[in-house]
Amino acid sequence: MIYIIDHQDSFTFNLVHLLSKFDEVYVSNYFDINYRKLSKSNLVVFSPGPGEPKDYPITSDIYNRFKSKKKLLGICLGFQQILFNEKGKICQQKKIYHGHQSKIIVLKNSKLFKHKTIYTVGRYHSLKLFEPYYSDQIKITMRCTTTKVAMAFEDNINKVYGFQFHPESFLTKNGKNIIQKIIFA
Amino acid sequence: MIKRNNKFYNKNEENLSKTYLNKLIHSDKPIIIYKIKRGYYLFSDFSEKIILSRKNINQFFIKVQNQKNKKHFGYVGFFGYEILCNLIGIKIIKQKNNSFPMGIFYKPKNVIFLKESFINNYSLKIKHSSSFKVNLSLKNYTKVFNKFVKKIKNGETYQIKICQKYINKSKINSFSLFVKLMKTNPSPEAFFIRDTNYSIISCSPETLIERKNDILITKPIAGTMKKNKKSSLAKAKKYFKNNIKESKEHNMIVDMERNDLSKICKNGTVKIKKLKYIEEYKDLYHCITKISGILKKNISTKKIIQAMMPGGSVIGCPKINTLNLLNNYEIENRNIFTGSFGYIKTNLDMRFNVIIRSILHYKGKSEISAASGVVVGSKAKAEYNENYIKAKSLINLFKK
Repeated sequence: MIYIIDHQDSFTFNLVHLLSKFDEVYVSNYFDINYRKLSKSNLVVFSPGPGEPKDYPITSDIYNRFKSKKKLLGICLGFQQILFNEKGKICQQKKIYHGHQSKIIVLKNSKLFKHKTIYTVGRYHSLKLFEPYYSDQIKITMRCTTTKVAMAFEDNINKVYGFQFHPESFLTKNGKNIIQKIIFA
Repeated sequence: MIKRNNKFYNKNEENLSKTYLNKLIHSDKPIIIYKIKRGYYLFSDFSEKIILSRKNINQFFIKVQNQKNKKHFGYVGFFGYEILCNLIGIKIIKQKNNSFPMGIFYKPKNVIFLKESFINNYSLKIKHSSSFKVNLSLKNYTKVFNKFVKKIKNGETYQIKICQKYINKSKINSFSLFVKLMKTNPSPEAFFIRDTNYSIISCSPETLIERKNDILITKPIAGTMKKNKKSSLAKAKKYFKNNIKESKEHNMIVDMERNDLSKICKNGTVKIKKLKYIEEYKDLYHCITKISGILKKNISTKKIIQAMMPGGSVIGCPKINTLNLLNNYEIENRNIFTGSFGYIKTNLDMRFNVIIRSILHYKGKSEISAASGVVVGSKAKAEYNENYIKAKSLINLFKK
């Protein structure tokens, strides 16, 4: 089962439909967690949402509790949420990407995606990961081809993954394939 | 040609019905008119009128869900903005209001199909007072606007719509205003309600829900281009294609409406049917996307309404947080504006619009509301003016 923690976003159910192609999906609000179901699930997804990581301490708790015990995936806010808990700083970017379609490229250190593949993706974010960012386990694995902003990370030891873009958006091509790599990781 | 209870009348009866129609229209009986393809529905002789409140809304949905007499049409009416917020757990406090009901539904005994041309039988020249006052000055609008720009930069909202109201004091002949509006600015979701103590005249362009059996369709609008002498459909297409700000705003609404449909539709059935097509209106062009899905089993009418309303395109995104922000900053109740008008048939098929481009006449005052979006890249003055363009065709009705 896949458990989606919804940060009351207006895109979460697009994600539900996308993930339902692979497994049964359970979704709940971040303040209304069903811990029994959560502990039974084999993938926990942190949804996109408004605001910034420090607004969601419950989600941070869940991340820290399940890290290295379950496969975890963060999308947009969820991506930032994980990095925030891994000593990353989240900051405002100059240009704001809401409803923006960009090209992103896979870097050499990705284990799941083929090096140099270019994906067309949909983005909805005003905040980004502040760089330089150093971590022993987390590697930035995709970047925007024009701005170089971090677009994905992998921690293949703990099976923690994140996308700054929205694989569920209609602006993203091959969103299903991208998710599939995580499912089979 | 008049069609009644699904049977065509012969010529004599047609004449008879014309007199019937005239009598009805010139009487002070409550009537409702709703635009459909190639004509209008005229609803009258209401056997029931339900004024919605927080207390009876659930009862109303139970009643709607269990309509037994299939000979009846069903219910027709509207949900105001506030009750739609309440339905998804959002409370509004500290707003000025004129105690207009939160929603009203009627059960018609009589439904008549009227051809589009019926409007030509009426040429009512009545001059109405046209001095409208706006409730938000450019200065104050700019203040709110700048606050929201900050909130967008902080990631609290991705897009938000600020509402303005234009109000005048006047006595009106509501039917004549509706006729005038349909002659100058017909629109796919136009409607008219005349009741004893209020009336609504609307040329709404936007379909929020169309349900036929288990198929749901929504057609969100995002993107407006003002018309001038040089503009054409081809130029409008080009404009929407090349304008990054409009295009991003539209993308966001498409993903949001896909999301709202996905809450109640079977996995994998939500599809974009037609992306970013242009419709032409009297003063402007709109950019629209058509999205459909197949309803899951055992989804109630209430659940559909909670999933889809208030319509995302007139609120902003993400819905919950943006609604909370809006309700904290808007000083006046939106009343009908960005609510939904439509019907729920006895077989539970339904059709609802988004209430925009509408005049609410109540307690001797007419109010027209308009809203336009704050996204990154929008300018306060331009959005302020866009609101006026949207309200203009309605304000002009009051002139000769």
